[in-house]
Amino acid sequence: MKNKKISSNTILLFITIALFVVMYAAGCIVYSAKGFSHLQTFLNILINNAGLLCVACGMTCVMLTGGIDISVGSLIAMDCMLLSVGMERWHMNAIALCVLVLVIGIVFGLVQGFCIGYLEIQPFIVTMAGMFFGRGMTAVICTDQVSISSNKLFVALANMKIPLPFGAYTSRRGIVQVPYIRISVVIALVVLVVIFLMLRYTKFGRNLYAVGGNETSATMMGLNVKKTKLKAYVLSSFLCSIGGICYCLNTMSGSVQQAKGLEMNAISSAVIGGTLLTGGVGNVIGSFFGVLINGTISTLVKTNGKLLSSWSNIAVAALLCFFIVLQSIFAKIKNSKN
Amino acid sequence: MSKIKKITGQPLFLPIFCMLLVMAVNIFYDLGSGRFAFNFFTVSIRNGVLYGRLIDILNRGSEIAILAIGMTLVVSASAGTDISVGSVMSLTASLCCMLLAGYGVASTNTLAVPLIVGVLAGILLACVCGAFNGFLVAYLNVQPMVATLILFSAARAIGLLLCNNLIVYVRNDAFKFFGGYLGFIPTPIVIAAICIAVVSLVLKRTALGMYIQSVGINKDASRIAGLNSEKIIFLCYIVCGLMAGIAGIVASSRISSADSNNIGLNYELDAILAVALGGNSLGGGKFNLAGSIIGAYTIQAITTTLFALGVSSDQAPVYKAIIVIIIVAIQAPPFNAWVKRLSAKKALAKGGA
Amino acid sequence: MKNVCAGIWILLIICLVCGCSSSGQPVRDETAYQERPQDNENQIVVGFSQVGSESDWRNANSESFRSVFTEENGYYLVFEDAQQKQENQLKAVRDFILQEVDYIVLDPIVETGWDSVLVEAKDAGIPVIIVDRQVKVEDDDLYTCWVGSDFRREGRLAGKWLEKYLESQGRGKDRIRMVTLQGTPGSSPQIGRTKGFASVMKRHKNWEMLEYQSGDFTQAKGQEVMEHFLKTYDGIDVVVSENDNMTFGAVEAIEEAGLTCGPDGDMIVLSFDAVRAALQAMEAGKINADFECNPLLGSMVSDIIHRLERKETVDKIQYVDEQYFDSDMDLSAIMDGRAY
Repeated sequence: MKNKKISSNTILLFITIALFVVMYAAGCIVYSAKGFSHLQTFLNILINNAGLLCVACGMTCVMLTGGIDISVGSLIAMDCMLLSVGMERWHMNAIALCVLVLVIGIVFGLVQGFCIGYLEIQPFIVTMAGMFFGRGMTAVICTDQVSISSNKLFVALANMKIPLPFGAYTSRRGIVQVPYIRISVVIALVVLVVIFLMLRYTKFGRNLYAVGGNETSATMMGLNVKKTKLKAYVLSSFLCSIGGICYCLNTMSGSVQQAKGLEMNAISSAVIGGTLLTGGVGNVIGSFFGVLINGTISTLVKTNGKLLSSWSNIAVAALLCFFIVLQSIFAKIKNSKN
Repeated sequence: MSKIKKITGQPLFLPIFCMLLVMAVNIFYDLGSGRFAFNFFTVSIRNGVLYGRLIDILNRGSEIAILAIGMTLVVSASAGTDISVGSVMSLTASLCCMLLAGYGVASTNTLAVPLIVGVLAGILLACVCGAFNGFLVAYLNVQPMVATLILFSAARAIGLLLCNNLIVYVRNDAFKFFGGYLGFIPTPIVIAAICIAVVSLVLKRTALGMYIQSVGINKDASRIAGLNSEKIIFLCYIVCGLMAGIAGIVASSRISSADSNNIGLNYELDAILAVALGGNSLGGGKFNLAGSIIGAYTIQAITTTLFALGVSSDQAPVYKAIIVIIIVAIQAPPFNAWVKRLSAKKALAKGGA
Repeated sequence: MKNVCAGIWILLIICLVCGCSSSGQPVRDETAYQERPQDNENQIVVGFSQVGSESDWRNANSESFRSVFTEENGYYLVFEDAQQKQENQLKAVRDFILQEVDYIVLDPIVETGWDSVLVEAKDAGIPVIIVDRQVKVEDDDLYTCWVGSDFRREGRLAGKWLEKYLESQGRGKDRIRMVTLQGTPGSSPQIGRTKGFASVMKRHKNWEMLEYQSGDFTQAKGQEVMEHFLKTYDGIDVVVSENDNMTFGAVEAIEEAGLTCGPDGDMIVLSFDAVRAALQAMEAGKINADFECNPLLGSMVSDIIHRLERKETVDKIQYVDEQYFDSDMDLSAIMDGRAY
């Protein structure tokens, strides 16, 4: 029987994808006059959310182990500030700085992972401290807004348009608009694919699921739970640093207030994508569509133009509520079967 | 040696120790800057009201203390945190001010409805929010953090809609009362004291405190023992909502306006921190209300001290983070085990010599 | 097995319904949109990306745009509130480009990081008008012009006013102890006002700035910081508060401490923005002087757009007219004549 293979999780993922398609199609029909149906709308969602996508991938991995990482937003702010100050004030090499940022991400993750895995402190508290630390360190590095303008390589990367060979259209002004993506989108998509393959085909990926599914039995099977958790947080902070670079390529500046609340967007994307906070269930493909849904909602509200932007928060929250209720119903069905 | 152990073993040791540490820092700072050593502790009556840094801490810390009460119960019963309290505060303030001023009015000196209606409606809405969270957590078995994430993002936005995206000012002396003075004592202190007294009385006089702990320790076992676990968790969330509502009214009365974007911003984190500082495990089970409240005031004391030391408000979180990590690391069981092993080794060495 | 299949189908239907209803929320306002005469070539579509709604000044500013860019005046305004996040503004500008609006009006939250979207707008041939806060970009041709306040001038004005005031009080040579409640660090008003005031302060050896501390432009924070100032320093003579909301908080803190402020009080209070509530407070004798930051930029932007439509050139930088108010003026008459 083929149907037997369809677990509740697959259905959830399926629903997420269907919801995205329906929402996007509705937008195309209703707002076609406002340019919603151009390919570029979709690409803009990707461009605007490239950083978030990387972060959501990391968040998914952490959530698979049953943990959470709310330090990501501040870490991104710190990365952006470091990149901008490094390039503008210290005149450092862009590539060296990017490597430095990635190393800092790994160290950040090591400390958090150690506290969570080996000291057995709750992930929420540890990453909350990480959140305070990141935000504060951003202010310690510099309290001004610093913009990147002098570093040729970084500016060129940020302004590089990668045109796509299809979907061009002529605007009302008679200018041919060729759809394009930015380098950050390429980075984010590569991250997505790598993490997807890693979760599916490597031992580490399966360990993450095992630890989140049932810690005791994972220990009994001979898995090093502590080490797996440590690795998960290192991975999350590392991906977050990649996300920080993508984010910086988009905003080209560093300021203390940047990426506030991004962690909640990442968590809600993962949850909408079918990842359970209890761990053991989830997929980065789901999180990808979670990010897309988040982006589509805010684009819809923006395209309308007459609505207060609080509506997009409310719509995301309503969706979140819907998915949470759905998940719990599935869980109940599963329990009653057992 | 055993005496020290006895003291450190006390449940309230950690929060009180932190408080003392913060105060010691203040004494040294005052001495260092050539002022009277107990400058920090001087309380005087100026302009007919109490005045001094200590009073400030008690006054400003009221909201966090009120939130910490509800948060303690929620953490204990459901082994999870309610991250929506800050947003619910803002929503309460928005509804209350919107009713008092009338929809779409940005500033008013006269009340559109009686004060009590606005305040009660606000608090009632907060209770409804609490009930919503409670329903998701207790009856649908949703992880508390995810369940409260919904209102975390929605409540503030709904508040903005209620206020029509404006900052609503209610410049009225009656409304000012909640953030003002009762006689010579700041009202927030009185409100916090009443909340603490009522909740602790209820917990002491009834078996509710026990029930909450047993549900937190093992939900299923408690159900078998005849407790309605769901109902108790549900109740805890309603209390948490109620407390968030009260805190929201106080916060909005303080600035006599409903500033949806800023009221209660990051308060959920401070409240959770207060619970953790109070020596409560975020894993649920046993709780200590007094610890949480001392924890709340400790946080405010840290903030005030950092101000006094001239640390910029943007950089303050670094110190907060370091303090948090040290405190929770000391509490962590593996760390304790390591310390025990170390002391055992010492004892062994002593015995050998 | 049949049950599972049925379950899947039911869920699919539910999800469809929910999908429609959740995307239905934005659609609800559809009537307003349908009424927009899409083919009406005369109507000018303007996309406005606003910072947020964090202060009275900001609300007056938004209102000014809403009241000028009406359909009666031949405009269709797409208003976008960024909730204080730069990434939201980047998204908004990209959306405006896709919607092919005629003009983009941008009130940037931060001064930096706008190069790539401005290039996108330029490639699409859409002129961008920057208002209020400034942008720092490599190539100034990326935007058409900038309209807003000269924050440095406001700061200087405040310094000069204080100079004169102290002189008239006979305290020109006395030691003057001051504190500053700063705005959000790094924002243009904070930088401009602090620097402007400092440039006047440099000329006076007897002016002593005790401390700068940020109150984030909010009332609650302003009050907290002022409480701290009052407890740390004795005998503060002047309080400089970089916006009105913080001033309200500061005045409250001062009164709670049993001190008085304003023309007849212990402290001189200088404030910026000059919203109505602040003028009322000044009338009540709590603020000495308030330096206007004019939020009514809507009509000025409208003028610029009309000139651009006629293919005329416009000045790159345009300062809006601003004045100051102090307690000696006839405030009630001034307030009657003001829109905010």
